[in-house]
Order: sequence, then structure tokens, then C-alpha cells
Amino acid sequence: MTYEKHYVWSILLRLYHWAMAGSIVALSVTGFYIFNPWTLTNLEGTGLFPMMTMRYIHILAGYLFTGAIAARIFLFIFGNRQERICDVLPISSRNIKNLISTLGAYMYLTDHHDEDRLGHNVLAGMTYVTTIFVGLIQIIAGFYLWLPESSFWQKFGDMIFGSQQFGRYIHHLLMWYFLLFALIHIYLVIWNDLKNPDGLVSSIFTGNKFRHREVK
Amino acid sequence: MTDTPESTIPEPQLNRRSFLKGCTTVAAALGISEAMIPKLVEAATSAQRPPVIWLHFQECTGCTESLLRASHPDIARLILDIISLDYHETVMAPAGHQAEKSMHDTLDKFAGKFLCVVEGGIPTKDKGIYCKIGGRTAMEILADVAPKAAAIIAIGSCAAYGGIQAASPNPTGAVGVKDLVSGTPVINVPGCPPNPISFLGTVLHYLTFGRLPVTDNLGRPLFAYGRRIHDHCERRAHFDEGRFAEQFGDYGHRNGYCLYKVGCKGPGTFANCPSVRFNDVDVWPVSVGHGCIGCTEPDFWDTMTPFYERLPNVNVPGIAGVTNIDKAGKTILGIAAAAVGIHAAVGIGKSMVTGCGCKDKK
Repeated sequence: MTYEKHYVWSILLRLYHWAMAGSIVALSVTGFYIFNPWTLTNLEGTGLFPMMTMRYIHILAGYLFTGAIAARIFLFIFGNRQERICDVLPISSRNIKNLISTLGAYMYLTDHHDEDRLGHNVLAGMTYVTTIFVGLIQIIAGFYLWLPESSFWQKFGDMIFGSQQFGRYIHHLLMWYFLLFALIHIYLVIWNDLKNPDGLVSSIFTGNKFRHREVK
Repeated sequence: MTDTPESTIPEPQLNRRSFLKGCTTVAAALGISEAMIPKLVEAATSAQRPPVIWLHFQECTGCTESLLRASHPDIARLILDIISLDYHETVMAPAGHQAEKSMHDTLDKFAGKFLCVVEGGIPTKDKGIYCKIGGRTAMEILADVAPKAAAIIAIGSCAAYGGIQAASPNPTGAVGVKDLVSGTPVINVPGCPPNPISFLGTVLHYLTFGRLPVTDNLGRPLFAYGRRIHDHCERRAHFDEGRFAEQFGDYGHRNGYCLYKVGCKGPGTFANCPSVRFNDVDVWPVSVGHGCIGCTEPDFWDTMTPFYERLPNVNVPGIAGVTNIDKAGKTILGIAAAAVGIHAAVGIGKSMVTGCGCKDKK
């Protein structure tokens, strides 16, 4: 038995992934600081601007995050076969079958290996589409809070959130969604890598996945 | 000094000097040129200035009180002097049928010309029976007056967004004026209470230019509600440099540090409090050591409370009681981590029972 190599993830998708991962870490850490500054709060004469520095990083990372989300939406439409949105949503019988078998495998009921599928399983794909959507709301909330006087973001934000304070509340709550997502995502990636030796973890660095091939 | 009638009851007449000072203050608040002040004065003294019908619905009269009891009487007197109040339940001389008559006279005689000021929320549940004046519900009175008015000024957060009556669970179905009126221009001057200068500025702008001032998305005049409190706050430098009062009365609080960590809602509140201030003695809540409570924002009783926390609480289903937003987040993350642990343990257990979970070793 041997393996054949398949190029699955384009450079843009891999860049998107790491921009997303990096910006989520930076945004969460600085976001927690902005919410509840933890540095010594009675220091004078240090010449430091901790809140401004954190806000600067937060906004910079926010732009990176925005770029990442935009890239993923581009790939949903114009990406390769694995990256397109129609490959990851339960809209065809092939995808629905994959969703059911994935759920079975995650519950340890069946042994699951979809030989004709190189990209995401459908459960993961649905989660990613949800995450991109949540990311969009997070971006709107972020710009709404940062540029409250801009009539564009004000119109947008007031329509969705009603007020600055409620926008801030949603912005903070959705941050917890991303932390929850990160935990489950990392666990399931490792779990899948252990179960199916197709090189899932390395594929996000190299873009390549592997498949069994029986040597005749 | 003891209060004597002479010292507490203001002079009934507004003298010219105070009148001009008041107009100048308002011109400054409106951000219009000094050269426009004569125009403001002219408009405020014009014989053709529109009469005002002031409607009181679900309210505490605090907005009226704040206008009438300004410590420095100029502004209050200016308001009473420049607007001819034909109907105002708190200060009008007639009562009962006479009062209703004076309202109907104005409605007939000045249809399409008078200004309507609404103070208080309007209950809509059960056909609005929770607020009745002279046998009519607030909804009926507003539906009668609003189409005939030239413009409506919703004064205070109750008239603008429903206010405390509309706070969850909103038992009377209270709403603001804008939710019920269409066709007549409505401007919101929210606050609990709003600054008299913001109200006077709106009125004078209307008298001078014949139209309402430019507003933001929520119908608030930009001259007063165009900037967040946080951006004009005198404590902003402490915020940027990371100096915060951790609790009331501590070192930071005594040294005038930023009140962000004790729940100041300045970063989410649009109002001119830091620049216009209150009571003619140059104070406002943050300057005397109390955070902003966000009273000019929609639904502030729901979204700005608890007043001494940054964000509202969340209810996590299945976990009793109200919890802090981050406690809720940590709880959910903790449950997820436990689920991950159990899932992994089941997997390991299964592979121990069946031999191996991995495909390639089969």
C-alpha cells in the first residue's frame, strides 16, 4: 500500500487560515485588555500608552481579520473544488451522506472514510460557513464601534445592533464564539489526523493531502 | 444664607442682557457663527413665532423640571419667553375644560404652524389605556395633534425611545414618538433629562432657519449628539495612558483617573455633556467622579445596566441567575473543554477495547 499526493489547499486559502488564526489570537488578547485593562492602573510618568497600544494592535489585527474573511468569501465562489461553498454545504446527496457518516464517526458509531472527498467534511464545512458569517457580524460591530461618526457604519450598525452599547455587547459575546470554535477546531483536527492518516495537519502548511492507493 | 422669597424666586422679566447671553450660549452650542446671533435674536423675538403645545405622557416631568429649574435662571426664562406655551400641563394657568379648550383653539387656529413638544413615552398595549388625559389615551391625543403640527420635538429619552417604561419587559408596550408618527418631522432630544441647551438650540434653530437641525441616524440633532462623550471627556488622557479608578474612593478615583473600569458608558454614548455641561456651574457626572450611565442612548435601562459594569449581564440557559458576560463565556468554554475531554476519553477507551482506532494499522 502506498499514498498518492493531492494538492488540495491553494496558497490563498492557507494564507487566509493563518491570517485568521493569528488575528483571532491578537484580537482576543487585546480585546480582553480593552474590555478590562489588567496592567497596573495607577502608574504615572511612564510615557507608556498601554490602552492606545492595545487599541492600535486590535485595529491592525481587525484589518487582517477583515482581509482574511474577504479572502475566504472570494474562495467560496472562485476557489478550487475543495474550497467552494457548494462542496461544504449539505445541498447534494453526496454531501448529505457525508454529513451523516461524519456525525456517526464523531459519535464513535461507524468507521468513516469518504474516499472521494479531499476537502472538508460537511459538518466542518457548515461550521466554517457559520464562522465566516459570525466574522462578518464581528467586523461590522468592530468598525461600528471604532468609527461611530461615520454615517456608513452608523447606518449599518444601528440597523443591526440599535446602539453602540448593544454593538459592544454582541462584539464581546461573539469573541467567545471564536474561542469556542478554536478549541473544538484544534481538537477535531488532531482527532481526525489520528484517525485518518491523510496528513490533515500538515496540509494547512503544504497544501497537500494524501490518499491510500493499493499497489497491485 | 437662608432662602428668602426674594433670593429664590427669579425676576419675572428677562432683561436684555440675559436674553442676549442666552442666545449667545445657544449659538455656541449650535456651532454657528457669531454673525448669526442677531438672526437668532430676531427669530426669538419675532411676533410670528409659532405657539407650542407641550404634551405630557408617561413621564416624571423631570425634563420640564430641568428646564424650569436651571440654577442660573436665564436659560429657563429664555425658554419660557421665546416659546409661547399654549398648552403645558405643568405651567399653564388654565385647568380642566379650559386647558383642553386652549389646546383645541391652538390646534384649529395654528394648524400646520405650531410646534409640538412631547415629553414621555406612549403606551400602546391594550389600545393605550395605561395613560389617559382628559378621558383620551396618549395614543389618541398624539394621533390628533401630530398631523397638525409643523414639527415635533421629542424631549427626553422616554419620548424619544420609550425610556424606562419601555425597559424590559415593557408592561405597557411603551414606545417613542417616532414609532407612531409619520408625515410630521420628528426630532429626538434624548437624555434623562436632556441638557436644556440642547432643547433650546433645537427650538432656536427651528425658529431661525425654519427647519429642524441635521440629525444622526437615531433622529438626534448632530450639534448636540454628534460625538461620543468619551471622545470629548476630560479624563480621556487617563484612559489612553491606562490609568483607571478600580473602585469608587480608591487612589485612582481620588486622583481623577478614568472611570471606565467602574462602568462609565461614555464610550458608547452620544451627547454634548463634556462640552456644554450642566447647571451653569461647569459640572457634569464624570467631572464629579461618577461614570456616564448612557441616558441619551436607546434602551439604556436595558443595555447600560448594571451601571457599574462595562456590559450587560447574560442569562445562560440552564444555569440559574444572572451572570457576568465573561463568567458566562468561561462557563460555556469550560463545558466545551469537558466535552472534548470526554470525547477523547471515549475514543481512547474504544480503541483499547477494540484493539486500535487507526485505519492504517488494521
